[in-house]
Amino acid sequence: MSPGGRLWSERLRFDVRATLVICAALALVPLVVTGPYALGIILVSIYFAIIALAWNLLAGYAGQFSLAPAAFAMIGAYTTALLDHYGHVPLAIGIPAAVVSTALLGWVLGKLVLKLSGPYLSLTTLAFAEIARVVIGNSHEFTRGDQGMHVATLTQSRVAYYYIFLATLVAVVAVLYAMLRGRLGRFMTALRDDPVGASSRGIDVVRTKSIAFCVSCALCGLAGSLYGTFSQLVSPELGLLQQTGLVLAMVVIGGMSSLTGAVAGAILVYLSSEWMRGFGNVQIIVFALLVIVFARYLPGGLWGLVAGRLRGGPR
Amino acid sequence: MLALDLLANGLIYGCFYALMAVGLAMIFGVLKVVNFAHGEFFMIGAYTYVLVSLKLGVSPWLALPGAAIAGALLGWVVERLLMRPLYAGYASWGFMKDEYAVVVTFGLSLLLINLVDKTVGPYSFRGPSLVDFGRFALGPVMLTGQKAIAALVAVALMVGLALFIKRSVWGLQIQAVAQNRLGASLAGIDATRTTSLIFVISGALAALSGALLAPLVNPSPDIGAFPAIKSFVIVVLGGMGSIWGAMIAALIIGVAEAFFSVYISYDYRDAFGLIVLVAVLLFRPQGLLGEKGREL
Repeated sequence: MSPGGRLWSERLRFDVRATLVICAALALVPLVVTGPYALGIILVSIYFAIIALAWNLLAGYAGQFSLAPAAFAMIGAYTTALLDHYGHVPLAIGIPAAVVSTALLGWVLGKLVLKLSGPYLSLTTLAFAEIARVVIGNSHEFTRGDQGMHVATLTQSRVAYYYIFLATLVAVVAVLYAMLRGRLGRFMTALRDDPVGASSRGIDVVRTKSIAFCVSCALCGLAGSLYGTFSQLVSPELGLLQQTGLVLAMVVIGGMSSLTGAVAGAILVYLSSEWMRGFGNVQIIVFALLVIVFARYLPGGLWGLVAGRLRGGPR
Repeated sequence: MLALDLLANGLIYGCFYALMAVGLAMIFGVLKVVNFAHGEFFMIGAYTYVLVSLKLGVSPWLALPGAAIAGALLGWVVERLLMRPLYAGYASWGFMKDEYAVVVTFGLSLLLINLVDKTVGPYSFRGPSLVDFGRFALGPVMLTGQKAIAALVAVALMVGLALFIKRSVWGLQIQAVAQNRLGASLAGIDATRTTSLIFVISGALAALSGALLAPLVNPSPDIGAFPAIKSFVIVVLGGMGSIWGAMIAALIIGVAEAFFSVYISYDYRDAFGLIVLVAVLLFRPQGLLGEKGREL
């Protein structure tokens, strides 16, 4: 293997190990944190970690700066909720159905924006996200609009739910690692860094982009679907643009194009936002400022800083 | 004559949209980035207008330029602190340019919304009218005094801007930098100063749009979201970066939206513009008047 290739796989291996360390630490949390409220907060931060990972695949690795991750979480949650409400479909089918439906929609969106890039891509995905939210929020007779819908739950035990989310997170990390370590991961970064160059070297740009959209959106849908069954209520608020903003903040603060960055960013940002609620709800102001400062001065994010220290030399 | 009424009201809203969209188009024309915080320029203008006239007891006619100054200042600061890296030679750039612009303007939008929410409060304000003049009928068209006056001011501003861009030295410099930044610099134009000027004008126009609409829409911190999305639609429809395209597209969208919400569906009126946006980006990415092909 070429030295460049080895560098990539070494970085990725280091990255995935660090992520698994975080997951292992999270697995021990229920031993220490026993309050259902506190555990619920950490659980929600894992939900955001999954979405952040999914968005990071699309934006960080494949360079497709979509603004629709929250919308796909909402669509996933609604798929399960609608199946449950109208067909009394068990969750064992309802949750996979959410993954399939969001994967299909993501594939369609990927096809739609195939020839777009940069601001055009962001605008189209933003429009897509807002259309989805407006349609779901206004179809009162079908989705009950802003009132939201009730969903069945997998289990009443919060600890069990916590481990379901954690297992999903680990599975998502494993899927992403499997994708990124092979040719596909390299194709994606090539697509990000130089689309014309990538296609001139024989990389199937259409296929790579479609897969990136498909997988990323399906993972968002899975997270949204699980979250819906956990809170037992889905509403169009899941798809608010502010939620996308939060995911964006998590990944930028944690570190773009890195698994650890997305996971650590999501957990740090969500936990500290809960903590800052006590100081008068200033959390979004702080994170918005942090995002600007990080994007401007520390584009590698926190993980960029830490990884540089741990491994010696710039990442 | 419902149709005529809709046409007139659509054109009036089109004028307000145009004030916002033109600024967005100028920013895109020069930097090739979309300002996702443009709706917050609108919001700041609306709030400045309302707070200055209500709290300080100043005449609304003086609050209007106050809002313009606030918007211009905000535009200047945003350009100076956040946009300058886009063109002022940052070679080893961790983010790609487009992504940096999306992240920073998106963050700025969240920041401004929540800052206003914290400092002024989340409830909406009722803005004072420019004139004490109730509803009146102009033939078949129902208008309010505020709406008529605000539309006149908006039209005057658009005409003024058109003359400024076409005739003045600064306007010509803006056109030159939008066409070719390097070429303009070689011809002795201060491209950096021109970019600043564009943000100042964009900020002032969006803020004025907010101030003029404030008595009609009752500003709250997130008031900018839908005008902003509408201006994205308009800028795309007019051909990204084309000022004249944006003006025409704003009127078209204003009218089309008025008809859509009455004849097709009121609930989905906000989705209408977005569908137009997606359709234009997919089938005619150069817009109505644009010549540029779509980028890969």
